[in-house]
Amino acid sequence: MAACGTLEDGAVTMFINYEHNTHVYNVTVERRDNQFFITYDNNEYTVTATEVKPGQLSIQLGSRIIKSVISQGDDSKFVFIDGSIFKVKRIELTGRKKTEKKEGDLNSPISGTVVHAKVKEGSQVKKDDVILVIEAMKMEYLIRAPYDGKVKKVYFKEKDQIEIGQLTAEIEKEEE
Amino acid sequence: MFKKILIANRGEIAVRIIKACQEMGIKTVAVYSEVDRHSPHVQLADESVNLGDPTPSESYLNIAKIIESARNVCAEAIHPGYGFLAENPDFAKACADSDIKFIGPTPEVIRLMGDKIEAKKTIASANVPVIPGYHGVKQDLSTLIKEGKKIGFPLLVKATAGGGGKGMRVVHAEAELEQSIESAKREAKSSFGNDSVFLEQYIDKPRHIEFQILADEHGHVIHLFERECSIQRRHQKIIEETPSPVMTKKLRDEMGTAAVAAAEAVGYTNAGTIEFMVDGKQNFYFMEMNTRLQVEHPITEATTGVDLAKWQLRIASGMELTFKQNDLVQRGHALECRIYAEDPSNGFLPSIGTLEKVELPIGPNIRNDTGVETNFHVSPYYDPMLAKLTVNSENREESINKMIWALSHYVVLGVTTNISFLKKVLEHPEFRKGNITTHFINDYFKDWLVTKEGLPLDAIIALAVYDSLHTQRQELVRYKEADPHSPWQHVGRWRMGL
Repeated sequence: MAACGTLEDGAVTMFINYEHNTHVYNVTVERRDNQFFITYDNNEYTVTATEVKPGQLSIQLGSRIIKSVISQGDDSKFVFIDGSIFKVKRIELTGRKKTEKKEGDLNSPISGTVVHAKVKEGSQVKKDDVILVIEAMKMEYLIRAPYDGKVKKVYFKEKDQIEIGQLTAEIEKEEE
Repeated sequence: MFKKILIANRGEIAVRIIKACQEMGIKTVAVYSEVDRHSPHVQLADESVNLGDPTPSESYLNIAKIIESARNVCAEAIHPGYGFLAENPDFAKACADSDIKFIGPTPEVIRLMGDKIEAKKTIASANVPVIPGYHGVKQDLSTLIKEGKKIGFPLLVKATAGGGGKGMRVVHAEAELEQSIESAKREAKSSFGNDSVFLEQYIDKPRHIEFQILADEHGHVIHLFERECSIQRRHQKIIEETPSPVMTKKLRDEMGTAAVAAAEAVGYTNAGTIEFMVDGKQNFYFMEMNTRLQVEHPITEATTGVDLAKWQLRIASGMELTFKQNDLVQRGHALECRIYAEDPSNGFLPSIGTLEKVELPIGPNIRNDTGVETNFHVSPYYDPMLAKLTVNSENREESINKMIWALSHYVVLGVTTNISFLKKVLEHPEFRKGNITTHFINDYFKDWLVTKEGLPLDAIIALAVYDSLHTQRQELVRYKEADPHSPWQHVGRWRMGL
């Protein structure tokens, strides 16, 4: 509430795009005091709302009360609603390119240390063969070959540190 | 009774022990690593000692530093909690050598029970059944492969010094044997500094059922009934309950008697847990003994009314148990869920970050054990368990419903948690029926995704309200002037109200 104390005699419409799980939701919201006019998916919703504690909202839609807790992280928000939590990103109207997982993801799922890297470059591997073993928090995570093929490149050797999302290896898919 | 003790642990268990001490009028000393400086356990204690470097081996696992700290603050005893040094015989020995009471069994018993092979031999000699397997000292690959084939498949490869599922592999076919042994050995080496493994017949439809025991230093041993801990992921428990839905009076008596016999066979003292595997035909086998307070001890406390942490302190200070086996009754049903910072839809990978908001459910017969709070940073150094949620009711069905309610009101924002996942497990019809085994998660939740459903309308409305409330007017104007392509340029009902 405090951040918007100067708004009492103006109404501002915002166009917002929320990205959740690769879906984008286009929303507009206009505020007049504690009344909010929200449009989404060709419907308009008029609600009254107060922030009862930082991040904790009490929203009235008709006779229904929506209770939600929202926190603002570095690049995304967490929304708690009705026992579920959703991680949502606000994105630009033009939309950024979505990063979608391709088939054959050889990126590391976690930051850790490579403890096992026996596969040689140039060798043949079968689908599900272990390419790399990464240890993090005393547990092992296996990077497996997503398909039959030839190992083009292995980017890490044993004892190397690896960061989440880093490409571990490249495998040339075997032609049918 | 002690006047001052040091708690050589962190998180919820350090908090739980400090609270027990404070109720009993015992002064407490917390230890912490650099990253835990502002943690709840440090704030709650009467004194605290900085152990420095957050690497476990330099802090919570550093025996010399902890003993020195205890001496400097004149602590008479050390409570090790669970994990870290709780089952390290060298630590218990180092305490004894420094004339500090270790709150737990003797170093000899910890050493014996820590060696899973010797433990089984000893317990088997007390006429407690054990699972067939290879527990030999010969650890070369060819011996292990030969012995593995002898036992047959499926079989289990397990670290001799193991615990918590680390260094453990299930082998379904001969072709996987070699790689599984190597992998288990590597994990065992890095987790426990010992790569020795054993092999065991794999039990079908296994349930993990354990018995809590208390043994004073005057020869009295009692059990406090069972805990069913079959719901596990990565071989680590996530939901525990008591009584077990499969338990009968006959089986309970038999297992309870076996648990007490096992404890007596090794001269056990203090609180401990005998873990059994129970198969589909209600045969039970001794698995291992945990020589410490268990994570899931609150469900036993809820159904027996006995405060296990306080009894640990009383026993260590030389007191006798004030009740006998026949004085104990199990009342109602209790259920515990472990709240982890992890992603169940992505292989239960730990999730690291700052807890932007933590709000715990409050209500009748709901217990929160937690070592975190809003703004706590979940670091990669330690176990990602944030808290425990325990409920108790008249019966199992009521406990499940209460737990679902409590989880639905449990707010942890900032990191991914397993809360929605726990709720789905509790709601599963087979769980409700009590048809559970240690394979439950694998059988029913293998490819579970937390975000199958899209964003609900209520969330969209809440987000829009939040963003509208939290966007500064000045910011809007700045956007408008700076960027001709800004969405604010398209705004229809824009009115300057400055």
